[in-house]
Amino acid sequence: MKSLIGFKSLVEREIIRFTSVFFQTIFPPLVSSFLYIAIFGFTIGRQIERVDGMPYLNFLIPGLIMMYIIEGSYSNTSSSLFISRWAGHIQEILVTPLSYFEMVLAILIGGLARSLVTASGVYLVSLLFMRTPIQHPFIVLTMAVFVSLSFSSAGALIALFAEEFEHLTICTTFLITPLIFFGGVFHSVKMLPNVLQVITSFNPIFYMVNGMRYGMLGTSDVPIAQCLIVVFSLFAVLFSFTVFLFKTGFKLRK
Amino acid sequence: MNDPAIEIKGLTKFYRHFKALDDISFQVEEGDFFGFLGPNGAGKTTTISVITGLANYNSGSVRVFGHDVTREYRAARALIGLVPQEFNFDPFLTAEQILIYEAGYFGLPKGKARLRADDLLNEFGLSSYRRLDFRKLSGGLKRRLLIARALMHQPRILIVDEPTAGLDLELRYKLWDFFKEANRKGITIFLTTHYIEEAEKLCNRIGVIHEGKMVEVDEKNNLIKRIGHDTIEIQLDRTLPTMPESFSELGAELMQGGTIIQLPQENQQFSKLLRLIHAQGIDILNINSKKTTLEEVFIHLTRNKK
Repeated sequence: MKSLIGFKSLVEREIIRFTSVFFQTIFPPLVSSFLYIAIFGFTIGRQIERVDGMPYLNFLIPGLIMMYIIEGSYSNTSSSLFISRWAGHIQEILVTPLSYFEMVLAILIGGLARSLVTASGVYLVSLLFMRTPIQHPFIVLTMAVFVSLSFSSAGALIALFAEEFEHLTICTTFLITPLIFFGGVFHSVKMLPNVLQVITSFNPIFYMVNGMRYGMLGTSDVPIAQCLIVVFSLFAVLFSFTVFLFKTGFKLRK
Repeated sequence: MNDPAIEIKGLTKFYRHFKALDDISFQVEEGDFFGFLGPNGAGKTTTISVITGLANYNSGSVRVFGHDVTREYRAARALIGLVPQEFNFDPFLTAEQILIYEAGYFGLPKGKARLRADDLLNEFGLSSYRRLDFRKLSGGLKRRLLIARALMHQPRILIVDEPTAGLDLELRYKLWDFFKEANRKGITIFLTTHYIEEAEKLCNRIGVIHEGKMVEVDEKNNLIKRIGHDTIEIQLDRTLPTMPESFSELGAELMQGGTIIQLPQENQQFSKLLRLIHAQGIDILNINSKKTTLEEVFIHLTRNKK
């Protein structure tokens, strides 16, 4: 019971952290998603033929939602943990009786909460233009939760390895953003030449985008089982590694 | 027999190739007000970091009330309140939130945490600053908030790292009173400080660490008695160019250019010396009994080990 209170307190603090800077964390993705949908989906998208038998705007929305889930969860934990390392208040947590598993999970849930709020907001913004169905709500939720937890773990790992703030953005610019753009947010893999289709199959974000697309639209470039296996495996590896680093005190304990 | 509040055996810690702690062992009993003294870089903060889980160590064992700080870290940490040297507050929280969340991490339900926070905010004169975030507090208020935070979960041992560094005298004395009162109520206190006077006034036991090695651990009074040399100083009405041989045979020394004779108290030759002085026709202007201070013991211990 005591442990649960401790865990809930840390989750709450992580949520307060991003809600207290709402205009920095939640508002910008809503504005940029509006612009993406208005320009790419609504204006240019009307000139594009149907993709997989549906309007381009409907095709775009699941990928866009997944993009914001990935970005929101990654940036939440990477900044939260790096700032707390940098400013020293991670010590406040490290001296408590919380287990390392609880510490990590609570920090990741902060990222999850932020990305779910953002994803819901982006979906609401999309309704201003066109209604996109949600055919398999459980799949949508499963994909959202586990992708978010995976990228929250990735953010935590980067925050542990990083020595400067710059390292956090380098990873976003040179790794995550390209993987998102080549992961099929804006296009179907079938539109690519064969060689690029093979290369894309090594990009984990491709499976995440398609998993979300299946959940919302009932269509995907790859079987949903494959998407779920990739997401669960990635989560298991990244989460276990993060807990392991907390246990060993990597960059946390002297 | 109760487990010691802190039990350290053979603790060794390296920072890369630098041996920060070299096989140190000591014990702090429940109820002690333990002063952990040492020069800068001696290993005080490293020892605290190991006890509280902020530093790993290479060998040895560290227990808090019988709980191993590595294998049973949750049980050990639940009993410790840490007042660190640096301000390490979450910049997103107000003073009141800092206290309430701290209690939450240690398993205190929110209702009780609020009441406890109210009490401590009042006790430390922070009530009117409760809604401010910590960056807006003065240095003294931040220091008080650090102590209040460490007490939120009612720890059995309070580990305090340089609590009064940079504080004005008034606040320093207030904190001393507070620590004495907390110790009187049964909280074991483990204090590191640069102000030896602080340790002398507050602590009943002293440990001295120097260059990563424990130099002494003892009751404060025993330590001073054992290592210190109380003296008697006799001020003369004239200057003696040299010490008469009969005086020197008693162990007396000439000080201050020949105007003062100093005699170690343990020699127990005071009456004899007075008779000899009188026999020489010298008048005595003043007699002082000079007690050894902890500071002199500390300097003796840390200088002699270099």
